[in-house]
Amino acid sequence: MIALITGGSGCGKSTYAEKLIARMPGEKRIYIATMQVYDEESVKRVARHRAQRADKGFTTVERPKDMGGLSVEPGSTVLLEDVPNLLANEMFDGGCADDIFPGLEALARKSANLIVVTNDVFCDGIVYPESTQEYIRRLAALNAALAQTADFVCEVVYSIPVSIKGDSTCVL
Amino acid sequence: MKLYIGGAYQGQEELAARENPGAEIISAFHERVREALANGEDPRAFAARICAEKPNAVVAANEVGAGIVPIDAGERAYREAVGRALCVIAQASDTVVRAVCGIGVRIK
Repeated sequence: MIALITGGSGCGKSTYAEKLIARMPGEKRIYIATMQVYDEESVKRVARHRAQRADKGFTTVERPKDMGGLSVEPGSTVLLEDVPNLLANEMFDGGCADDIFPGLEALARKSANLIVVTNDVFCDGIVYPESTQEYIRRLAALNAALAQTADFVCEVVYSIPVSIKGDSTCVL
Repeated sequence: MKLYIGGAYQGQEELAARENPGAEIISAFHERVREALANGEDPRAFAARICAEKPNAVVAANEVGAGIVPIDAGERAYREAVGRALCVIAQASDTVVRAVCGIGVRIK
């Protein structure tokens, strides 16, 4: 089962994804953190997310790139956060963006359940320099490909999950 | 409490006024969050204070979080603060309406 969670900045995506995973069956819960810590702001963000997950029984794996090469124990429920960071790492930090989707498909095959958090970055109406435009195009394509394969897609709007495909009951 | 949200100029302000005659409307709430940040107030605490002081108010706000994360730290903090504050307002609201092209879509 694959669930894709999207939404804008600060809208409660992580909180919702964690709620969803807590209600899923299964003992082994793995949290894949893709964000690379490079400044005080990211340190704070990681600390906030860690505190949120503290008593939820996750094993945290820091994995900025190469999801296809990650081995997970069969039957695990995996929460991956998030696609925008993964894409930035693969595009701008010596990775391979073309490998992301096959990598995520492979990860989904190894997991009993995979919840992927992504982000809506598509509505600010700003035309950016080409490398950023390329990033936006690739993120949109990844979101669309993931949504195609997902059983459940929802947008979190200020803490309220709005279903786009399927129903959260189909993943529980 | 009720919350009306939407992208810029999607009709959330008009819907809030039309559907709630006589109610106190807190207009352009995203700008109130910007002011709160400028005053050093925590966005969640600010929103919780509004909920406590004006439990029958109708809040109208722009959605500002669906773009590329700004390079400017202040703008980045502002966008996230609007999200955090609106999560608090949405949780305290019995009704949340999202305006799309002037049409209100009730999401809570």
